[in-house]
Amino acid sequence: MSSHGERSPEAELGLLDATMIGMGAMIGAGIFVLTGLAAEIAGPAAILVFALNGVVTAFTGLSYAELASAVPKSGGGYAFVREVFDDLASFLMGWMLWFAYMIAGALYALGFAPNFLELLHVYDVVPAPDQVGALVVPGLGVGVPPTVVLASVVILLLVGLNAVSTAASGSVETIFTITKVAILVVFVVFGTLSPMFSSAEFQPLFPGDRTAFSLLPAMGLTFIAFEGYDLITTVTEEVENPRENIPKAIFISLAATVVVYLAVVTVAVGTLGAAGLAEAGEAGIAQAATEFMPTGLPVIQNGGALIVFGAVFSTVTALNAVVIASSRVAFSMGREGQLLPSVGQIHHRFGTPFVAVVLSAVVMLGSVVLPTASAGNMSSLFFLLSFVVVNGAVIRLRRERPDMNRPYEVPYYPFTPLAGIALNLLLTGVLVVYLLQTDLVALLLSAGWLLAGVGMYVLLNAFRGRRQAGEPDEGSPAAVPEDD
Amino acid sequence: MTRTLDVVIVGGGRVGHQTAELLVARNDTVTVVEQDSEVVDRLADAWIATVIRGDGTDPGILEQAGVEGADVIAALTGVSGVNLAACLVAERLSPGIRTVARIEREGADAYGELVDEVVFPERAGARVAANRIAGDDIQTIADVTGDIEVMEVRVAEGAPAAGRSLRDIRFPSGTLVVSDDDGNQIARPETTIDAGTQYLVAAEPDVVDEVLALLRG
Repeated sequence: MSSHGERSPEAELGLLDATMIGMGAMIGAGIFVLTGLAAEIAGPAAILVFALNGVVTAFTGLSYAELASAVPKSGGGYAFVREVFDDLASFLMGWMLWFAYMIAGALYALGFAPNFLELLHVYDVVPAPDQVGALVVPGLGVGVPPTVVLASVVILLLVGLNAVSTAASGSVETIFTITKVAILVVFVVFGTLSPMFSSAEFQPLFPGDRTAFSLLPAMGLTFIAFEGYDLITTVTEEVENPRENIPKAIFISLAATVVVYLAVVTVAVGTLGAAGLAEAGEAGIAQAATEFMPTGLPVIQNGGALIVFGAVFSTVTALNAVVIASSRVAFSMGREGQLLPSVGQIHHRFGTPFVAVVLSAVVMLGSVVLPTASAGNMSSLFFLLSFVVVNGAVIRLRRERPDMNRPYEVPYYPFTPLAGIALNLLLTGVLVVYLLQTDLVALLLSAGWLLAGVGMYVLLNAFRGRRQAGEPDEGSPAAVPEDD
Repeated sequence: MTRTLDVVIVGGGRVGHQTAELLVARNDTVTVVEQDSEVVDRLADAWIATVIRGDGTDPGILEQAGVEGADVIAALTGVSGVNLAACLVAERLSPGIRTVARIEREGADAYGELVDEVVFPERAGARVAANRIAGDDIQTIADVTGDIEVMEVRVAEGAPAAGRSLRDIRFPSGTLVVSDDDGNQIARPETTIDAGTQYLVAAEPDVVDEVLALLRG
């Protein structure tokens, strides 16, 4: 080919790759960034928090599996809901999911920053993270926290990468995920062997004024850690034999992730203690590791550096995954005419959904000024809401299209999707109440995003109405009617 | 910005299946109605379209397939009567839907008055067979293409590629823009892709959707 430049098409993904995409997203930052924050709310019961979230999310996982096997479309939750619900409902689903991914991006970037500082600290490049001073903006004399600067830089880097080239292939993602899991296994092995762990104290499970109800807000906060299977279903078109492999990939990645989480959180609580973990916040796992990993090793010197590196690496790869995911949701919405048409176009030179990537980046960058917990809470809130809609889609589809071919069916229907709805709504309610008491800004921002969505929807409909009345769409075969 | 088509195909056998695959590669939305459970499984394995299990002449089944929101119904089973019935039921449920029926015998003109288009796949197949038998080194476009799709594409207003020269557009590999300006010249790097103009484009099946996304928006 000589007459014009070309790009290569994407590779086909196997079951392993699909599983790894899911695990890669779940194991990414949730475990590294949120363990400390969960310990702060729930104490040693943080272990239970992750286990229970695994159970809650499994119900929705079943619904995803049924939809993914029956509706052969890439695009994740948004594509399924688009198939089932009318314009407004599917628009809101896309709008919420897009936001959830963008805020997750901000969360991962915010998790990256302290871990990166910790990594530099391990090698004595910078002082301990809490002693790194604010960077003063020249001319303005305003101090900007280094974490915000680092988070913005890492977002800009990854967005730039994704704006100008198509996504890294699934095989790269597989290597990334195996690396992350391997690092966590090292963490667990050394942790369980360390003297700190042998004297581990998990009692009382609910210290101080905490009760079993403290679990709920912590579950709300960390729910985002389980959003990975939506990501699997956004790439289904590229998966081989998706009818079988997608449900399998969902279950395997979820089960494996829960096991890894439980092992890691148990070791973290057992070594650093819930209080120490809470104090370390976003860098909890990394700090626990520096306590018990061997030192004086060749090259890496400090065994803890390996885990800190794992945290940095995980947050970066998870950030990359959500940059892709958020832009894909926006891109599908643009293609469906639910956002401005330019959002649904690919760039003539880069072959990427350029506008969708850039728009997502703007929201991510705007969100890095939020505290990490707020970002986690907001992202979890929107995932919970969109998962309610996904479970509802299963029920509605069964009622409206009973004869649809469903290679995989949710067991114990309708109990399973109903339980999914009930549990997700329960956590949503708890989270909203918790935010009312502790983080009004996050709640207001969330409500603002939803209101902005409704406004956008009304404007867009007016825009489409005018377009259709005005210029007849030249060149389109047979007038395309409104789809709802 | 052009919208893709929403198509209901009745009959997921050889013809229906192939047709669905070609349409999906162009980003159209396809729902297949099929009764035979073996064929349903084959369709599910291919994972190209949602499948409704049942009789394509049953209004309830066609409703589930979404004829009401669809642009076109294509009844492609091997039985002309079934195809005709499916088209008529669909027309009744969704007046104004475009109807396409596969017929068994050429020259069954009467169908042409009841549906918008008739298809006689055997004729296309026979032409290919005749060309293969003759073993010619030179064949017409429709026949050469094993997997490659050779398409004449009219560039849409506002498409990402519109108004740019081929040098500035990076198509996915497996794409070749062959002709320029409605087929009068072979395309060159400086050739400009103009909205409203047709270009002859060859593309491998994997990248058809992306090529169309660039040219049609």
